[in-house]
Parts: sequence; C-alpha cells; structure tokens
Amino acid sequence: MTFLTPFFLAGLAALAIPVVIHLIQRERKRVIEFPSLMFVRRIPYQSVRRRRIRHWLLLVLRAVAMALIVAAFARPFLRQGAAAAVVGGGARDIVILLDRSASMGYGDHWNRARDAARAVVRSMGADDRATLVLFGRNAEEHMRATSDRARLEEAITAARVSSGATRYGPALKLAESILGRSPLKRRQTVLISDFQKTGWSGSEEVRFGDDKRLSTVSIGADRTANLSVPSVSLGRSAFSGQERIAVTAGLSNRGDEGLKDVPVTLTVDGHELQTEHATVAAHTSGSVTFAPFTLAAPNVRGMVRAGSDVLPADNTFHFVLAPIAPVSLVIVNGVDGGERADASLFLSKALSIGTTPTFRVDVTSAGRLAPTSFDRHAVVILNDTMFPPAGGAGALKRFVERGGGLLVVAGDRSSWPQGEAELLPGKLGAPVDRTAGRSGSLGFLDYSHPVFEVFKAPRSGDFSAAHIFRYRAFEAGPTDRVIARYDDGAVAAAERKVGSGRVIVWTSPLDDTWTDIGVKPVFLPLVHQLVRHLAHYEASTSWFTVGQVLDLAARAKTKADRIAVTPAGERISQAGSRPNEGLLELDEQGIYEVRSTGAANGQPEALAVNLDPAESDLTPLDPRELVATVTGRATTPGPAEPVAQQEMTREEAERRQGLWWYLLLAGLLLLAAETAVSNHLSRNEKFL
Amino acid sequence: MEQHVTPGARFVDPSVLMRIGNLELLARTVVEGFINGMHRAPYFGASIDFAEHRGYVPGDDIRRVDWRLFARTDRYYVKQYEADTNTNLTILLDVSRSMQFASRGASKLEYGSYVGACMAYLAQRQRDRIGLITFDDDIVAHVPPSAKHFNVVLHTLDRARAERPGNLPRPLHKMAEHFRRRGILVLISDFYEEPDAILEAIKPLKFLGNDLIVFHVLDPAELDFGYEDASSFEDLESREQIPVVPESLAQEYRSLIQAHIGALTTKFSEHRIDYTVLNTSEPLDRALFSYLSSRERLMHVR
Repeated sequence: MTFLTPFFLAGLAALAIPVVIHLIQRERKRVIEFPSLMFVRRIPYQSVRRRRIRHWLLLVLRAVAMALIVAAFARPFLRQGAAAAVVGGGARDIVILLDRSASMGYGDHWNRARDAARAVVRSMGADDRATLVLFGRNAEEHMRATSDRARLEEAITAARVSSGATRYGPALKLAESILGRSPLKRRQTVLISDFQKTGWSGSEEVRFGDDKRLSTVSIGADRTANLSVPSVSLGRSAFSGQERIAVTAGLSNRGDEGLKDVPVTLTVDGHELQTEHATVAAHTSGSVTFAPFTLAAPNVRGMVRAGSDVLPADNTFHFVLAPIAPVSLVIVNGVDGGERADASLFLSKALSIGTTPTFRVDVTSAGRLAPTSFDRHAVVILNDTMFPPAGGAGALKRFVERGGGLLVVAGDRSSWPQGEAELLPGKLGAPVDRTAGRSGSLGFLDYSHPVFEVFKAPRSGDFSAAHIFRYRAFEAGPTDRVIARYDDGAVAAAERKVGSGRVIVWTSPLDDTWTDIGVKPVFLPLVHQLVRHLAHYEASTSWFTVGQVLDLAARAKTKADRIAVTPAGERISQAGSRPNEGLLELDEQGIYEVRSTGAANGQPEALAVNLDPAESDLTPLDPRELVATVTGRATTPGPAEPVAQQEMTREEAERRQGLWWYLLLAGLLLLAAETAVSNHLSRNEKFL
Repeated sequence: MEQHVTPGARFVDPSVLMRIGNLELLARTVVEGFINGMHRAPYFGASIDFAEHRGYVPGDDIRRVDWRLFARTDRYYVKQYEADTNTNLTILLDVSRSMQFASRGASKLEYGSYVGACMAYLAQRQRDRIGLITFDDDIVAHVPPSAKHFNVVLHTLDRARAERPGNLPRPLHKMAEHFRRRGILVLISDFYEEPDAILEAIKPLKFLGNDLIVFHVLDPAELDFGYEDASSFEDLESREQIPVVPESLAQEYRSLIQAHIGALTTKFSEHRIDYTVLNTSEPLDRALFSYLSSRERLMHVR
C-alpha cells in the first residue's frame, strides 16, 4: 500500500482530538460527591462494564472513520501483487514496442533492449497478454497478442537489429490500433528504444486515449561516440574519352570526443584503392577526397569505410558507379546559308556544358536533315525553322511516338504543315509585337512540370528578368498542357504527349533576337531541363537509402522474370508478367543484385543501399516529451526505474484503483453508524 | 449562628425537646440497674408488675406461692414480679466519611448527632447512664456510660468529624467485646453494607441481651437520587468516580435503596431490633416523636 499524497497522513494526528476533548471534558466535568456508589455500581454491575466498553467502541468507530477519511485524502493505491491487479481493473493488454532500428546496434543497446522486453514479459500476470511489435522505419506485429510468455521470450530472442531508420509514429499508431481492438480494460504500451531525436518530429498525430497508457524504457547512453560516413560525392570528369570519378567521402563525428588519424578506405570492386587518414573534431563533419580513377564499365561497386566504433553499420558507405551515356540531340536550323548562320549558337553553347548528362549536339538545317537522323538522336530541336521535309509523311510523328522528344522553338520563320497538326500542341499564330511600351515577360510558370520543378524553390531562377519583345501567338489545344505564359496571358510554352514521346513548343526564339533570355542566368538550366525532359533522361542512382521501394519492373523495361538477391543472401523471385510484383523494398544495408532470367550470362544489376544518415545521429529525445505528446498527460521520470515498476505510474495506478473513493465511503458510513449507535446508546444511557 | 456555652449543646434543640420531653424512654428488655427506676430490672423483684408463674421449688418463699392457682390446679406456683431499674444508654455513632454528606441543610453526621444528643438528654433526664462511641473503620472516641457524662457526650459529639472510610463489622465486634452489662444501644449509621453483613456485625451486640435501637440516617438525595445533570459521581468512602446519567439511573437506584431498606427492616425485625429510617430533610422532632410513640405503643401491647 502506497500513498500518492502521503503528507495528508499528518491528518491522523486529528485522531487525538476526540480523545483530548474527552479528557479535557472529563477534567472540567462537575464531580458530585455521593456517600456511596454501592447501588450505582449495582445497576447492574455487568451492564456498567459493558457500557463503558461501548464507549470505547464508539471511540474506535470515530477513530477508524477519521483514519479512513484521512487515508482517502492521502490517495492510497496498491503497487503490485494480485490485489493490485484486482483493484486495478484485472488483466492487462500490453503492446511491447521494441526498437530494432540500425542505431540499436550501438554497443550493448540491443541486448539491453531485449532484456527490458523480457522483463516486461516476466512482469505479466497469468491473465495478461502481450503483443510484440518490432519497429524501425515501419512497424510490424511480430507476435500477436498472447499470454504465452515462453513464446514471447523466444520471439524477443529471435529478433535482430535491422538497417532501418527510427520512426516512432508508425509503431505508436500500430500500438494504438492493437489496444483499440483489445477487449481488456487495462491497456498499456511499453516503448523500448534508444529514443533518437530524429525519429520523432512531434507531428505524427498519434494520440492515446485515456484508457491507454504509454510507458517508456530508454536504453540510450548519456555519452556517445559515433563516426559515420553519411554520404559520398562523385566528381565526374572526362579524360581521354573515358570517364574518371573522384570520390569524396563525407565524415561526421557525432561523438563527444574528437577523432584523430581515422583511416578512411576506398574500395572499388573489392580492391582497396586508397586509404586516407582524417581528423574529425567532436560534433563536426569532415571529408576525405580520394584520387580519381577511371570508370570503364557499368555496375562498379564502391565502398568507403571509415574507422570502426561501437556502431559499425554507419561506418560504411556503399555505392554503384556506371558511366553516364550522353544525350544525343540534333538542332535543326533554317535553310542553308540563311541570314543567320549562328541561329543555334545559344542553344549549342548551352548544351555543350552539361556533365550529368553530357549532351552530344548535332546541328543541321531543315533541308539537310535525313530521315535516319531521327533514329540516332533522342531529341530533335526545330529552331525557328520550317517543318523539315524529312519529317514529313509521319516520319517525325513516328519518331516521337517511339519515345523521341521534339522541341519546336517558334520564331519568325517557323511554320507547320496542316498535315502534321496533330503533332503540335496547338496552332501557331502570327507574331505578336511587345516592343511598344514595356516589353513582355514570363508571367506564369507551371512549377509542377518537370521542366520547371527545379526552379520551384525561392531564388532558384528569375524568369521575370527576361524581356520578351516579340513572340508567336499560339493557341493550345484543349488536351495540351500550357506550362508557361507571358505576362499578357499568351502561351509561352505548351506540351503534348504523342505516343511515348513528348512535344514542347516554345513560342519565342531561344536566342537574343526576340528576347534576351539567352543572356539570363536561367537560360542554361532551362535548356538543360527541356532537353532532359524530352529525352526522358533519368540520372543513374549510385545508392539508395534503406526503406526505399524500387519498381524493378519499370527499371528493367522488360517482362522477363527477375531474381533479386539481398545483401544477406536471400533470393527474391519476381515474375515479369505481373507488374504488381515488381516492387522491391530495400530494407538491408549493402549491395542488392538483380538479375533477369532471360540474361543469365550478363552481369547482374547492382543496387547499393545505405543507412539513413539520420540513424547516425544518436541525440536522445526526452521520453517524457514523447509520452506527453502522445497521451496528453505529464509523466514521472522512469528510465532509471525497473521495468516491472514502470508498468504503471503512481498517478495511473491510483486513478485506476480509486481506493480513496471506497475509503471515503467507508469512513462516512462509519460516521453514520456511529451517529446511530451513539443516539441509541444515549437514549438508554445511565452512565456517561 | 447561635452560640452555646456547652459545646454540643446545639444538638439539644429546645424545640425538639419540647415535643418529646414528656415521653419516657423505655427499655423494652430488662436492664440492669442499681436504683429503682423506670426500667424493668432483669431480675424479678418487688415491684407491683406481675411477670409470670413458675413452679415451686424448695427454698422459695412460701409467701410468693399463688394459692389461688394452687386451688385451681392443685400445684404450687410461685408468682414473680418485674423489678424497675436504671440502665446504660450508649450511643454508637458512625463517623465514616459517607456521614458527612449533605445535599442540603444538615449533614447525616450532624443529624445523627442531633438524634444521639436527644436520646442522651432523655436518658439523662430519667437518670440512666449515658455513654458514646464514635467509629468509622475502628473506634474513634469512647465515652464510658455514666450519669455524669452528658456534657462529655455532647462535647464528643461536637468534636466528631467524618474523615475516614468506614467499616461496620470491625468496630462493632470490638464493642461487643467491650460491653459487659446489658443496656440500651443506639446505633446511628447510614449502613452502606450488605444487609447480611450489617446483621452479622450487629448480632454480637444483641447476644449480650442489649436493647438495640438502630437509626438509619439517610439524606433525601440518597433516597430519591434527584440529580438532573449527567456528572461524575464520587464515592465518599472509596473516592471512586463513576460517570452517571441520573435521569436514566434514578428509577433503578430508588428501587435498589428501597429494597435495601426493606431488607434491613425485615432482618432487624426478625431479630427484634428497632429499626428506623431517618430522612435528614424531615424535622428531627417529628422523627423522634414518631419513633418514641410507636415504641411506647409496642410496650403497651406487650
């Protein structure tokens, strides 16, 4: 029996009040001298004694009533045992949330977490039941609600640390859902974790009702030492027709002590290429740049390892390298020997600068454009020119339908035959002169379009700085997408999808004739984005992060069956004919291999998967903050307490048991009984 | 307060004596005496009061033979006559602490002293010898019987203080050993003992042939228990305190005290002991007058 507000027990001193008053009154009471009390004592002798005892009974009644009322104010409750279970509302439904994110591999955290989980299981009563939920980035019900403690302990023992990040939201939502379905009245969640701050944003919108309780067991360390390689950057350069890669590894020391001469090793395809030594001060970051190496083949597997510490998982960073194929395009200018031989100067210069990807640009004229040119290029740019004859008879349309990209830069010389109208996203009109008064400008950009998406962020490109003096009127089709407009509302750019390809019309020349956009900073990224989009260019990903899901079917672009081999060696088969089965969740750190069954002799595609960099940040979160956010109630500190004692806070136990109510009721009933008894006695009283 | 030359003279109230002065204190039983007096002597003598006949035995005075009886019965009987004499009157006054109780007016001790003084006065007037013994749990004061001790008796009564707890048997047994001659014993007490114990204590006094007169002096509060407020009652003898609610207790108490008086009346009458309850609220003259009147009537009946 424990009291929540034991200072109220000082009220027990009030028990002395009736006695003191009684004694004081006795002293003050008039004493009558009588010759002999022989007869008084005889009325009858036994009843005298009994009545005196009855007085004591009344005194005891009063004292007990007062003691009960005082005890009620002290708010008693039972801590443990069967009685506590009975008055506490019977059996419990416990959800054990066991954090198995990568950070739990730190030192002995995982073993301590499992010990804490076992302690919770051992604290279960015979009628209690528990559900084991293992969580990292996602949460899964590892062991459904059961009272079988042996099975629960086996499941805890069999659990392993994953490579996932820490996210408390899904786990708490799952716990809330499990407890919401529970028929038991006492519902409790025990969250066992290292409480990484990065795992809780506070906006998870998880809310436990009053009937669900959340307690925490923190196994995080006060002082941590952790060096990690959160990322690498790959510097690409061309040398002698080959691509060279310079790897720069980032290092992050989130520990409390600085690290000196940490060996950082670059390994490529299993060969250690270079080892550098780095010094990283506490709570700072650094980097190591390795000498460039030549990249000749695809699927080159690289790895950077930095030192070793108690959390080795984040000391390694994997990546896969492949040479980047250039995007090939042809710029079609006006007739040969025209008045502007350098009409594509701005475009060709802008496209000669790219590295990811590089652009291979051919410049020709409409008259010289051969029909075969379409097959050798990914994008065709009709730069202020008539419709090329080579594109006639549906040749250009077929090119687009097969996935090619067509950019029509409309100018004074642009024209479009009626027969090819379905290729153009609208109708070209007459030039519009905006030289009178203020020049025009780009007033609307569809930032949701991939071309302009990179300019979406503030200060990411000022298109309004470009002056538009003239443009071609353009009437977009009803199904076409207008992606840019001038300040007067006229269409500046529109897109139409034809087959697998795309056609974009830009209604003013991309040079310095009708506009000055060619000399504005946004020109180069705009042109690059237009070409990348039209060429369906996707940058190769050198690494993924644990938790990402890949659509292998989309990547393979074939319907052959696939086999994926995880870093742990597990084989996952996927049928190519079932597009819904093409998804692969990357939940392990290391290199995945994906092989198509139709290309058994070819080299498998490699996918590098790394830990979420946030897992390296072991900055702890105050569990009370999390509990308060989830439950809306303040909690008492609990990390240092044994798990068994943590199962219910003092306030919670007292509130659930509600013993004070019964004590108060009993005290009042006793007082009522005392009143009745004393009234009855006083009617027949012969002695005081 | 009225002052008297003789200490204790206040107990001899003229107004009381005026009513009882013409009464004679008569001993019911034979008393020994040296002079002819109003009391019958324990011996048959020359008085004119016939007592009884007895058979003639050789040596008897022939003049005492009742010849008339001989003529009727043809047997010799001798006539015996009762002789009058004076006697000892000893007042036994209980001075235990309970006797100091007084709910109003005189305490029981004072009232008993009045009774004793009046009895002494009557005895002295008829030339009886007067003695006094005061006692509580032992004999406190002893005035031997003497015709000249009236003043001493009054003086002793005046000095009597009820200061110690009482105990009837012990002092009465001592007195029984002390008395050598028959006489009148006037026992004045409140008799807070069991009736059987009281009788056992008194019996030895009776064995000597004394004429025992018992006055049971009680305060009106002892008889009707007329208290109202709940209070602690303290026993004057034992000093024990008991919290009491008189309203609820009085009825039962009154029945108990009356039962006690009834038991004493029965037992004393069985042993031919005069027993009178004196209520200290009653005028003393009326109490004594009624007692002496009834005593005189009984004597005449006899």
